Amino acid sequence: MLSPVLRAPWLRAPWLRARRRTVVLAAAVLAGVLLAGVLLAGWAGGGNSGVTDVDGNASAVIYQAGHRPLAPDFTAATLTGAKLSFSSYRGKVVVLNFWGSWCVPCREEASTLSYVAAQYQPSGVSFLGVDVRDTVASAKAFANRFHITYPSVSDPSSVVTLDFTAVVPIAGTPTTLVIDRTGHIAGAVFGTATYPELTAILAKVTGKAGG
Amino acid sequence: MTDVRAPETDPFDPAAEPDDQSRPGPASPGRGTFGAADWLKWVWRQLTSMRIALVLLFLLALGSVPGSMLPQQGTNPAGVQQYDTSHPALAPWLSRLGLFNVFGAPWFAAIYLLLFASLVGCVVPRTFRLAGSARTLPPRAPRNLARLPRSAEYATALPPAEAVEVAARVLSGHGFRLRRPVEPADPADGGHWVSAEKGYLREAGNLLFHLALLGVLVSVALGGLFGYKADRLLVQGDTFADTASALDEFYPGRFVTAADLGPFTITLNKFDASYISSGQQRGQPSAFDAQISYTEQPGGPTRAGQLEVNRPLSVDGAKVYLIGHGYAPEFRVTDARGQVVYNAATPFISGTTGNFLSEGVVKVPDAQPEQLGFTGVFVPTAVDVGGTLESVFPAADNPVVSLIAYAGNLGMNTGPSQSVYQLDTSGMQRLTANPQVLLPGQSLKLPGGRGTITFTGYVPWVSLAITHDPGQLPALICGIVALGGLLLSFMIRRRRVFVRARSGGHGTVVQVGGLARTDASGGFEAEFAILAAELRSAHEQAGAHQPAAHQPQEGE
Repeated sequence: MLSPVLRAPWLRAPWLRARRRTVVLAAAVLAGVLLAGVLLAGWAGGGNSGVTDVDGNASAVIYQAGHRPLAPDFTAATLTGAKLSFSSYRGKVVVLNFWGSWCVPCREEASTLSYVAAQYQPSGVSFLGVDVRDTVASAKAFANRFHITYPSVSDPSSVVTLDFTAVVPIAGTPTTLVIDRTGHIAGAVFGTATYPELTAILAKVTGKAGG
Repeated sequence: MTDVRAPETDPFDPAAEPDDQSRPGPASPGRGTFGAADWLKWVWRQLTSMRIALVLLFLLALGSVPGSMLPQQGTNPAGVQQYDTSHPALAPWLSRLGLFNVFGAPWFAAIYLLLFASLVGCVVPRTFRLAGSARTLPPRAPRNLARLPRSAEYATALPPAEAVEVAARVLSGHGFRLRRPVEPADPADGGHWVSAEKGYLREAGNLLFHLALLGVLVSVALGGLFGYKADRLLVQGDTFADTASALDEFYPGRFVTAADLGPFTITLNKFDASYISSGQQRGQPSAFDAQISYTEQPGGPTRAGQLEVNRPLSVDGAKVYLIGHGYAPEFRVTDARGQVVYNAATPFISGTTGNFLSEGVVKVPDAQPEQLGFTGVFVPTAVDVGGTLESVFPAADNPVVSLIAYAGNLGMNTGPSQSVYQLDTSGMQRLTANPQVLLPGQSLKLPGGRGTITFTGYVPWVSLAITHDPGQLPALICGIVALGGLLLSFMIRRRRVFVRARSGGHGTVVQVGGLARTDASGGFEAEFAILAAELRSAHEQAGAHQPAAHQPQEGE
């Protein structure tokens, strides 16, 4: 009349039964809770093979070859109104920066990105911005102020961001992705990108140090 | 703890065992030795007791109070920063106690895990006990049935074995579960008898209730771990995709990441609010109508839809509710160089009263040479009342904005993220002494050639709540099942009928006894009377076909 486990013959003696039953139940439930905890912790923290942190900082990562997610293609209007297809960048290393003129950390990293772009563009690295939840007027003023010369596509509805969210965990702006020549995402900076993080990822992807 | 019928209190049920909880705790350790197992047992018994469960529930409620009183890191980082600067002595201690991140704090997790363990530990053993109780056979027939609350006695011509056989058929026909002697005529057992019991559905209902209770717990956990809630303010004409960066507030469950959000997009094509224009209810809303179009996934077909209050849109496993609306005045700002540096509809927020008198701010971080900021009030139907503007109707019949301009440092180039509804003027210089009132199309030239702001028009906005709760449906089903189980256990009585037959006098004496559980009594008396009469007539009928009167035999 209890669980099958508790019907073992040694539990038949009534004086044993009541206390053993409680102990066994307590142990079983505690063990279950522990097991669940371990499983959940493993589940939440696991599955990171093929990813290397840059500078021991989990917000900047390099995806090892074979573990690089394929970047989705998208077509969107640039801030100047031209139509831009991401597939036209295939064969080049691309730094893709998700930003917004309203976003404080994006403003913090803007000068760094502008500097890194000037340093790496001559060696064939392309830079492209995705301007999220913004207006063209504000975005142009931002680019003007921070001397951003590379193009950006408008993403007022976050649709482009949504496409990328399916392959990398973009939680918001700023996020910077480095895409290799085969169109796979080779590195990512979640949050404000710093010069050492960006150059470490670019050195790995281009195979050249310092651009 | 939530049991409605504790089976262990069944006075006549041999299956019921004395409850553990009545045993002494460590205060009276019995024979003086109290080992680790005893401690474990004691702790477990305490944990799963109703008292501790209630204490934990209370602690959980108490623990969530600071979560609503203090700004939280996850939802309002700017507020935490602000609190930190305004309470420099207190804030570090509150932070150390996890009071700025209550729902992620270890002590909060400890409370709810203990509560969960307490409830599970209480319900699971009870479930086993109930399952056992639902399976047991009725007890053997008592020797003296006349002592039972209900009894009847009559004579029949049938021999005892046959009389019991007939009684068994009748009782079984009424849906009773039967128990017969192992040896049909074991004299030690008092001869021929049958025990019958009915109303096991009560135990089944009780069991169902407990299982469903566990189901509710699991469903709630499921919703908390795998669900999410989000808010988004959407201006007419705008589109948003269900992704973290497009949401204003995002409260994910513990195992929800940005990648788990549904890939739908929603566009607000048109929003109309109608108001009652005369009479006592003037200004009360009469209808809201949000015309939307949405796609379930990128590149999928675009569908048209409509959002109304309390009529959410179900899309991709999530529900989208219309929870509010307001006005977003449109501004165009040119800076000192004549460049258009801002051109957008800017949502203004209204209080609960004031006919949608709404406040908002415009931040122009990339105006040159200085950053510009404006605090504004949007008045949908403006009337000048003694020098101050008031809104007399919620519809935009005479819209104006009133602006105060600032120049300087918005504080947006470094530091914590800012609310789009607040302007930090600590680093700014006020440019206009009095609020400047603009009608649609009018401009305000800023002093010192700093630029121009134009009030170009206005559009409505709606606020949407997006919820995904995978535990909702299971919780509902479990709730209904729990209620059904509770009703079953309340309405159905377990009752027992015993029949004994023995030779005596001129034939066979049949004794019928019955008892029901005392609670919710009434009804069994009548049921027993009918049953006893039916048994008697069955015996009479069977006895009439008996050719000769039964002769007493030895050994019976």
